[in-house]
Amino acid sequence: MTVRIEIPPLLRHHTNGVTTAEVGGSTVGDSLNNFVRQYPGTKKRLFGKNGKLLRYVEIYVNGETTYPEELARPVKDGDEISIVYLISGG
Amino acid sequence: MKGITRKFLRINLSTGKMGEEAIPEQVETDFVGGRGFGIYYLYRELAPETDPLGEQNKMIFVAGPLAGTTAQAVSRWMVCTRSPLTGAFARSVAGADFGAWIKFAGYEFILVEGKADRPVYIHLTRDTCRIESADELWGKDTVFTQEWLTRRHGLNTRVACIGPGGENLVKYAAIVTHRRTASRCGVGAVMGSKNLKAIAINAERNLQLYDPEGFKQLAKQQIQSMMASKAFQYHKEMGTTNNPENTSELGIFPTRNSRYGRLEDYEKITGDEYLKHRIGEFGCYSCAARCGKIHRVTTGPYVGAQSEGPEYETIWAFSGPIENSYLESTIAADQLCDDLGIDTISTGNTIGFAYELYEKGLITKKDTDGLELTYGNHKAMVELVKKIARREGIGDLLAEGTMRVAAKIGRGSEAFAINAKGLELPAYEPRGAKSLGYNYATSNIGGSHGYGYAPQEVFGAAYPRRVDRFAEEENADIVIFNQNNAAAGEVGIACSFSRGWFPQVYDKLLAAATGIDRITERGYLMRVGERIVNLERAFIVREGFGRKQDTLPQRMLSEPLHTRGAPGEGQMMRNLDKFLDRYYELRGWTPAGIPSAEKLNELGLGYAVKDMARYQKVKAA
Repeated sequence: MTVRIEIPPLLRHHTNGVTTAEVGGSTVGDSLNNFVRQYPGTKKRLFGKNGKLLRYVEIYVNGETTYPEELARPVKDGDEISIVYLISGG
Repeated sequence: MKGITRKFLRINLSTGKMGEEAIPEQVETDFVGGRGFGIYYLYRELAPETDPLGEQNKMIFVAGPLAGTTAQAVSRWMVCTRSPLTGAFARSVAGADFGAWIKFAGYEFILVEGKADRPVYIHLTRDTCRIESADELWGKDTVFTQEWLTRRHGLNTRVACIGPGGENLVKYAAIVTHRRTASRCGVGAVMGSKNLKAIAINAERNLQLYDPEGFKQLAKQQIQSMMASKAFQYHKEMGTTNNPENTSELGIFPTRNSRYGRLEDYEKITGDEYLKHRIGEFGCYSCAARCGKIHRVTTGPYVGAQSEGPEYETIWAFSGPIENSYLESTIAADQLCDDLGIDTISTGNTIGFAYELYEKGLITKKDTDGLELTYGNHKAMVELVKKIARREGIGDLLAEGTMRVAAKIGRGSEAFAINAKGLELPAYEPRGAKSLGYNYATSNIGGSHGYGYAPQEVFGAAYPRRVDRFAEEENADIVIFNQNNAAAGEVGIACSFSRGWFPQVYDKLLAAATGIDRITERGYLMRVGERIVNLERAFIVREGFGRKQDTLPQRMLSEPLHTRGAPGEGQMMRNLDKFLDRYYELRGWTPAGIPSAEKLNELGLGYAVKDMARYQKVKAA
């Protein structure tokens, strides 16, 4: 299965400016791991040392939050994964 | 469909007259509340070219229709007036619980006009309103003032007051309640110019809602949706303290008076570093987020300093501009600003400007009362905060803000005076977040992030569409969307951090509170937001603003940004003119930046058409 990952501004420094990526995977976790394999620099901005998703990263599939299921959420061919940073400012 | 009466209280400090007035149904329908009421009444009542610090200026202290209810994160309040810093429209927002107390007193807003002949404060209850002597309070800081008034009028009193900054007419003085501030645009100086030290409200919870039962269900739905949200949980945990890391990685943390987009050692000022100093937290009325994180300094030269905050903007204001990563000094400066009643953003930005003036030899130690304004010197920064609020020595000049300081110093300093329309820019570098940058340029209050924040650029939000943060005129529609959306959110003065958690109930809550059924129609609130921005634009056009003032500091237009390894190296705002052409076209404004008669009529703002026709001629001439 192939899903499309929309890369947020904060990660593009680690993807040479690339804004989307096509990766394989049957869950959000699989897909993100495959994404990290393509762009290793993104790992520290997605996962903590324990391998869990960072507490200020939220993953959406087709515009719907995956929280609290997150990495275990199944995905299907053609799904779009969005990575959103929850940091608030202002 | 209406069923409740909404009213406001008018108080004239010159004559002592005061009285309630009903808000006409058409005004409610067109503007809903909050910032909408603020601009409507200011536009209709304030004569063009009114001296912002003169007797004729008016101040509107307004809460939203949801303030004081059980709904979450909607009890903020704001002040609308003509700004002494910019000469434009001023809208300055604050939190805590004063907004709820305005509603408990029975009003949507309090309109203050005239000028007292000696220091006074207003004491308001549900049944009475008195103008009392503030002789014992004049000269005191905001902590003393609030404690004194609470002792005098009882624990159920909530106070909005000024400190020495407002009394001394610092052009960017704040109004303070608890330790939250309405601080942008110099609204505290307007209060000081009226000899008004404080408004103290003593009232019990007492609200009239159009549909109380329906409202109760919606509020329950709202809090359930908040609690289930990861964004809410993280905001509750960290407030806004983690943003310096984010903006530094993006290269948009303005550093060394906006020459760089990243502080070299930003790791020293991250949320986790602030967490080491955290001793508590504070929340606004009916908000479970409690995002105000309280920090205390336990060692070093600022031992004992304590502030509710600093939040992101203030973390930046007292680190980025002077290239300072000693966070204890930031806590100390934040405390001083709140105690003395001045805006942290304008204060920090103006101090950064002073450091560059010093670096370039345009001011020397003779001008700075012996202070060495070398980058990283946080002790001088903290001293300057005190001097500004008290207008002592060089503080008297810096209290005027970057635009006026540059005008006085001259010799090319205007190029690096970091303001838009005179309002100092906040903690996001325009060259690396260009929709936000062009929002600063076109904002009707000047360089404000809150006027049209761009979450698409800063956090990667996908709504209404994804954007390239380095694109320029291509994103004019996004700037307009963000500005209209911010205005729509501020009719209910919903916290800007919370809107993403409950967009599905915001309009329903407003409708249940007010009885204005149409609010829930698709696109209605965005239309109200557009109406507000257009009337604010008409207001500032009357004050002489137009295309020429829709600009950014020369530094952003002609100097490449240096990001120290972050993305965006070499970026500049290259296409201001093209951006403005596109922005005005999409807004329905003339090429001079004036709302067209067609647009005004379409928005039900026909009463502004005649004014704009007059100014159109002036601009054409």
